[in-house]
Amino acid sequence: MRPRLLVGTMVGMACLAAGTLLAQDAPRLRGPDPFTVEQPAPPMQRAITNDVRVRRNYPDQPPLIPHSIEGYALDLHANKCMSCHARRFTEQSQAPMISVTHYQDREGNTLGGLAPRRYACLACHVPQTEARPLVENRFVDMDALTEPERQPGGRSNR
Amino acid sequence: MDLSRRDLIRAQAAAAAAAAANVTLPTQAQNIPLGEELRLKWDKAPCRFCGTGCGVMVGVKDGRVVATHGDMRAEVNRGLNCVKGYFLSKIMYGSDRLTQPLMRMRNGRFDKEGELQPVSWDQAFDTMAAHWKKVLREKGPEAVGMFGSGQWTLWEGYAASKLMRAGFRSNNLDPNARHCMASAAVTFIRTFGMDEPMGCYDDFENADAFVLWGSNMAEMHPILWTRITDRRLSAEHVRIHTLSTYEHRTSDLSDAAVIFRPGSDLAIMNYIANHIIRSGAVNREFVDRHVNFRMANTDIGYGLRPENVLEQRAQHANDAQVSHPSDFEAYARLVSNYTLDRAHELSGVPKTQLEALAKLYADPKTKVMSLWTMGFNQHVRGVWANHMIYNLHLLTGKIAEPGNSPFSLTGQPSACGTAREVGTFSHRLPADMQVANPEHRKHAEHLWKLPEGLLPGKVGYHAVEQDRMLKDGKLNAYWIMCNNNLQTAPNTSNETYPGYRNPLNLIVCSDPYPTVTAMAADIVLPTAMWVEKEGAYGNAERRTHFWHQLVNAPGDARSDLWQLMEFSKRFTTDEVWPAEILAKAPEYRGKTLFDVLFRNGQVDRFPLSDIAAGYENRESKALGFYVQKGLFEEYASFGRGHGHDLAPFDTYHEARGLRWPVVDGKETRWRYREGYDPYVEKGAGLQFYGNPDKRANIMGAPYEPPAESPDQEYDLWLVTGRVLEHWHSGSMTLRVPELYKAFPGAVLFMHPEDAQKRGLRRGQEVRIASRRGEIRSRVETRGRNKVPRGVVFVPFFDASQLINKVTLDATDPISKQTDYKKCAVKVVAAAVQAAPPQPSEPDARGGPR
Amino acid sequence: MPEEFHVSSLVILCRKERAAEIAAALSAMDDMQVHGGVPEGKLVVTLETATEGEIVERLNQVQLISGVLAATLVFHQFEPAHSSEASTGGCRHGSLAS
Repeated sequence: MRPRLLVGTMVGMACLAAGTLLAQDAPRLRGPDPFTVEQPAPPMQRAITNDVRVRRNYPDQPPLIPHSIEGYALDLHANKCMSCHARRFTEQSQAPMISVTHYQDREGNTLGGLAPRRYACLACHVPQTEARPLVENRFVDMDALTEPERQPGGRSNR
Repeated sequence: MDLSRRDLIRAQAAAAAAAAANVTLPTQAQNIPLGEELRLKWDKAPCRFCGTGCGVMVGVKDGRVVATHGDMRAEVNRGLNCVKGYFLSKIMYGSDRLTQPLMRMRNGRFDKEGELQPVSWDQAFDTMAAHWKKVLREKGPEAVGMFGSGQWTLWEGYAASKLMRAGFRSNNLDPNARHCMASAAVTFIRTFGMDEPMGCYDDFENADAFVLWGSNMAEMHPILWTRITDRRLSAEHVRIHTLSTYEHRTSDLSDAAVIFRPGSDLAIMNYIANHIIRSGAVNREFVDRHVNFRMANTDIGYGLRPENVLEQRAQHANDAQVSHPSDFEAYARLVSNYTLDRAHELSGVPKTQLEALAKLYADPKTKVMSLWTMGFNQHVRGVWANHMIYNLHLLTGKIAEPGNSPFSLTGQPSACGTAREVGTFSHRLPADMQVANPEHRKHAEHLWKLPEGLLPGKVGYHAVEQDRMLKDGKLNAYWIMCNNNLQTAPNTSNETYPGYRNPLNLIVCSDPYPTVTAMAADIVLPTAMWVEKEGAYGNAERRTHFWHQLVNAPGDARSDLWQLMEFSKRFTTDEVWPAEILAKAPEYRGKTLFDVLFRNGQVDRFPLSDIAAGYENRESKALGFYVQKGLFEEYASFGRGHGHDLAPFDTYHEARGLRWPVVDGKETRWRYREGYDPYVEKGAGLQFYGNPDKRANIMGAPYEPPAESPDQEYDLWLVTGRVLEHWHSGSMTLRVPELYKAFPGAVLFMHPEDAQKRGLRRGQEVRIASRRGEIRSRVETRGRNKVPRGVVFVPFFDASQLINKVTLDATDPISKQTDYKKCAVKVVAAAVQAAPPQPSEPDARGGPR
Repeated sequence: MPEEFHVSSLVILCRKERAAEIAAALSAMDDMQVHGGVPEGKLVVTLETATEGEIVERLNQVQLISGVLAATLVFHQFEPAHSSEASTGGCRHGSLAS
């Protein structure tokens, strides 16, 4: 059952065709073959900085960071992330506001600003590089499982 | 082809075309689903990764995990997960999951030199059993071994321990937790007579100061770090002091980043003890009532092979664990050598920083929580380092009460629960009992309903020794479960890989994915993971946390538990037990190991009907009884009434974990303290009841240097470790595209001036070489880790840059835990041919090449 | 007896003013389903057949309809007609036994 994606003129959709094998980069996963052979170090990857939001895999997934964070201060005196993502700066920055969950402390009280427990942004939100995945991941989005069942006019009579 | 599947593919097809054409499909065809179809089945589970033990809610639809999020009701994390935890949904779905057993074959038969080919479970088990029997017959129990895991569920570790010790009569069972926190575990017993912390995570909200010793919590324990930053930013007086050999994200968020020379933490702690004594801050009453003083043997070697000159030269390499009774005065004399000047000289830390740190511990009004992980434990003096931190807390009485807490963090989800409490170390039995103690063995034989004298008393091979014995041909049948040791063991080219390929040995590896270790094994068994089986983990605060099986493993993949129990059916007692034992207990004759270990009237006590409705349970159905419940209840009988009490099995499927001892349905947050711990006698206030005299030990020990330090040729310290996005050897997280793309490969973190001095620029390919071997990597002079001059850091998750070909297999001589933080390397541009072409098998103890 | 089950999807580029009429004609064809794209003149169509040959055959037919400018195959997946492993995502690991 290997689905195939036919390369037509308009195709740019590799990830929709689940099952298509992506470029294998086995040494990163399985090591050199044989083990004792010397392995050249793959090049370092460039950061993705296109500012394009990436769809989440499920609602509770923390959004990925689509811009460079190099040199961002995140210490006891400054949190650079908040200079764009704090509510009061989002109009000028046009950055998404931190989620409402970030206003709640451990006890569930809603605070007037970012909850201290959410201060270390990078524990959950990570930037991306241009690295191509080593191996396909067959995780299925819940939408793919819920929506087709409601397609009217389908030949199934469920 | 069922209809819903057809619908699903059709919808995918339409969506692909619509996206390609940039057409929005009308609402009629792209309806918003409502009601029943949106419903996901949610269940709780602990996270699969580190020892924090966060609660996760897992959403399942149509037999697949489709979503996960932090469990709001879980006390540990209250709704938060780190980025790895948030991506748990995807760890099981890497498309190279192993779904069939594989065996090296040539011409249709097993052949160690053949290629891995798919075989049936029967073929794999038959080949294994034949080899195990041959080895047991020809060389005896000491030639079979197993390397297990702090990621095993409680019952997997328990079943493995029973099979190895009582079945095959070998203590050559050790968990990968040996590499991770053996120093902590050993020192708990040496100090308190019982393993595991006295405090718990509630200390985070009660402490006034946090001191982190060799722990980059912001990356390795991110959710516990949120509790610390929460406390720091919510209460103005709170301070964080982070000690490390380089700066990192944790030190970024600390009040003081204390950067010391590798190994000199010992001198710093002895200086603090000296300061406490000289400034009159010793809590005399506490020390008089609750503490004994002892002196450790010194000059204890480095756990290298006995013929190594460093071992030959050491005075106490063979009795490193021995200590002698002493007193306060002798201890004070010892630490009086560690003046501020001397500590500064040895560590390179500014005196103001050292003094500020000492004052925190000395001030009776400041509640201090000390935290440590790998920097302390992966240390040739890891046991001493653990002792020295307890010394500070015991001198000041800052222990076993809210906020005053020396706290050992762990790296694996069940390092505490499985590796330690269940007893999968080569020297341990369940509930802190020791294999070398005849009374303990007798007790275990009794609870297991096995003949007296069956259990072997000789401590088995520990992790590093297992690799050495495989290489030397003394360990010949070896099963690796739930770990990736060929990537993570030290000095692998010389000490690990040769043993795997030794023609005398059969190497079996159970794993969900084709790891470095699996690819070098002779038989690879496809394994169910995480919520593909019913499980239980024990986290770093003594919390036991259960989960149900929520989805099925792909193909023929089966849990480690099923593999262990099924394999036990292939042996009869007559084949593996000595005749004199069977002569004394003839009723065991002719039975299989499965019969005597698992169909013993205890493990098979609970019927399948006890399994909660609505949950699959593959191994129970295959074996005919509720295996997890039976194993758990038998295991729990070891600890109940002995300070290790666990609640009844079913309770744990309801609770978000409970911290043992659980007595009368109540968990224990602070042990040894009256009012919190029911085992403390009324009116006693505090009792370290793990020791017969109910006192804890302060252990005097000096600073001793690391096994290998930089010299003119190998002029840099190499420190290895982890990164936030990848968990240990990366076999799960590298298969999640978002985590992979966030940190796609290992790099060599280096000080910009060190790079410049060598004519290297950022991104350039380099060779990292030690006396053991070399690898290629890329230079990183920026980024999250800021190393001082003379130190480099390389993470170990990347199998294309196996840094453990470079590391040294020196261990703490007492705990046998490897020191991955200190060895000497040189770094040169890869273009410069540093050495003549490598031989395929580097010379075992070769000098510089 | 068909052994396999093929699902494919097409984008059919047509004159906007005739898109609705073409969509109706396509809907009348066996195993063809129109999902949308009428306003844009880019019809999104799925096709379910028993063989690969039928897809090509149908593609040729569509291209002959008056008003159709181009028909492009975007997605094609086939599976055994009777399969139970599909929903568990039974993934084979093929590359190890080389």
